[in-house]
Amino acid sequence: MKLKRFLLRYYPPGIILEYEKRDKTREMKEIDLLHLTPETDVDVLVNQVVFEEPLISENRKPQLRRLIYKLIEKLESNESNDFYLFKILRAHILPLTNCAFNKSGDKFITGSYDRTCKVWNTVTGDELLTLDGHRNVVYAIAFNNPYGDKIITGSFDKTCKLWNAETGDLYHTYRGHATEIVCLSFNPHGTTIATGSMDNTARLWDVEAGECLHTLLGHTAEIVSLNFDTQGQRIITGSFDHTVKVWDVRNGRCIHTLAGHHGEISSTQFNYSSDLCISGSIDRTCKVWDVSSGQCVHTLRGHNDEILDVSFNATGSKLVTASADGTSRVFNTINGACQAILIGHEGEISKVCFNPQGTRVLTASSDKTGRLWEVETGDCLQVLEGHTDEIFSCAFNYEGDTVITGSKDNTCRIWKC
Amino acid sequence: MGLLTLLRKLKRTDQEARILVLGLDNAGKTTILKKLSEEDITSIMPTQGFNIKSLMHDEFKLNVWDIGGQKSIRPYWRNYFDQTDALIYVIDSADKRRMEETGEELGQLLEEDKLSEVPVLIYANKQDLMSAMAPDEITEGLNLHTIRDRPWHIQGCSAKTGDGLQDGMEWIVTKINDASRARGEEKA
Repeated sequence: MKLKRFLLRYYPPGIILEYEKRDKTREMKEIDLLHLTPETDVDVLVNQVVFEEPLISENRKPQLRRLIYKLIEKLESNESNDFYLFKILRAHILPLTNCAFNKSGDKFITGSYDRTCKVWNTVTGDELLTLDGHRNVVYAIAFNNPYGDKIITGSFDKTCKLWNAETGDLYHTYRGHATEIVCLSFNPHGTTIATGSMDNTARLWDVEAGECLHTLLGHTAEIVSLNFDTQGQRIITGSFDHTVKVWDVRNGRCIHTLAGHHGEISSTQFNYSSDLCISGSIDRTCKVWDVSSGQCVHTLRGHNDEILDVSFNATGSKLVTASADGTSRVFNTINGACQAILIGHEGEISKVCFNPQGTRVLTASSDKTGRLWEVETGDCLQVLEGHTDEIFSCAFNYEGDTVITGSKDNTCRIWKC
Repeated sequence: MGLLTLLRKLKRTDQEARILVLGLDNAGKTTILKKLSEEDITSIMPTQGFNIKSLMHDEFKLNVWDIGGQKSIRPYWRNYFDQTDALIYVIDSADKRRMEETGEELGQLLEEDKLSEVPVLIYANKQDLMSAMAPDEITEGLNLHTIRDRPWHIQGCSAKTGDGLQDGMEWIVTKINDASRARGEEKA
């Protein structure tokens, strides 16, 4: 086996080795550097990686050192810059629902009560495409990242549609759910789609064939959240029945039911290593679960009202919760300690996420503002003001230098730094 | 009220009744809703999307959806038809020029499958204006007597003063009550 080249993955930091096997075929291998920080002793890390990885020979050390410095530089990028309002997009004639970037960040999509999904150019703010065909609210939307050449839309019309992201052509309509589709995702390889519905089921679909591969039966109330793990082997679903279920993607069987919450689940996510997952609940707590055993590792308390969203940072070392009490809290994943309370919003916070570097948190609130927070101190760095009605959704691009916010005021705003 | 709350409001529950408020633009839908929840009504902008309010009326929790009435967004009213327990249709009684138009919109709503048998309350709003048509005149003008497939009621009111609003809500709550009792008997 021979190392052919290194590839970098910025968020979460990692090095990908492309190597040639004896039969001349090429394969990839990922080395995760989830603990990398600007304080890391790079020489020690280089020695450790070379020691543990037989593919990398001693003479590659200088190159490896340069790559690791590049990764550190990426963790520190955009740290001191403020965001400014770049464009207001009079996007839709009715309120927006969700918004999402493609991996490169040059495009993003917005869903709306006006039954369309629109594709936008992030650089110019131009509307590129209108995906028209659903007969009711377009609620959940996603790109097949990292490829970004396809888009899926899930609608209150009970169907999911697959579109060409370049031309806007409709490839396929996936039918089978009995009521609204409210969450969906591509698997990491872009070959399978998962949809979750108010009909209490989730479904797995084959992208190419358009067939339903499995119906995930077991929840006794609406499914409002679902996520694939990083490898695409398991899926978690969060339900109004107060539980989270872990499913095997290959056969559609339920592996674990994560029970313990005393209220509806609002949001779920895997960490990057996919050994843990989190669930936010109307019961005001967030739980950290060990995925392989199905045991609850931590119950994170402190909020005085419903938790509406939860999110890990890119490496999974921290997580953040958003609550109807108007605050967000940053927790350490390993010990469950609350590290910061983000206080300042004047209404409930409905969406929260980290920037890819993990240095900032973005919150979206019913007080019509978005806010940026310093993760370490919990200080509010910036208030993104201008929307005239509550903000339903927000997202960072992969570089962490652009933010989009989607609002009930029918507009979408692009903020840049 | 974020997106998650909207999903929770989509669920049909026995504890909460879902009421849809429709009508032409400038009929006073949002003003009626704000007046009912005792909010300030001095500066109300045209509704571009929707407003949702939870109202308590005699122990009843009412989940009221006020949907924008401008012509361009009327085709989207059907987004909200599911799980509707009662329809409130608001008419600007002083807008004689558009009386025919509002009658046509109401007629189309009453033909919708998803709204079949749903009780309808018609608020003849703006009775505080001199030029307002009386509820009787509107009933006559729009041939409301031909509605036979559901309970209906017309209520003169003024969102500005609040006159008549509570009377209308009483009627709605009674009808919802009748319907839920009937459902209960079916189950039994």
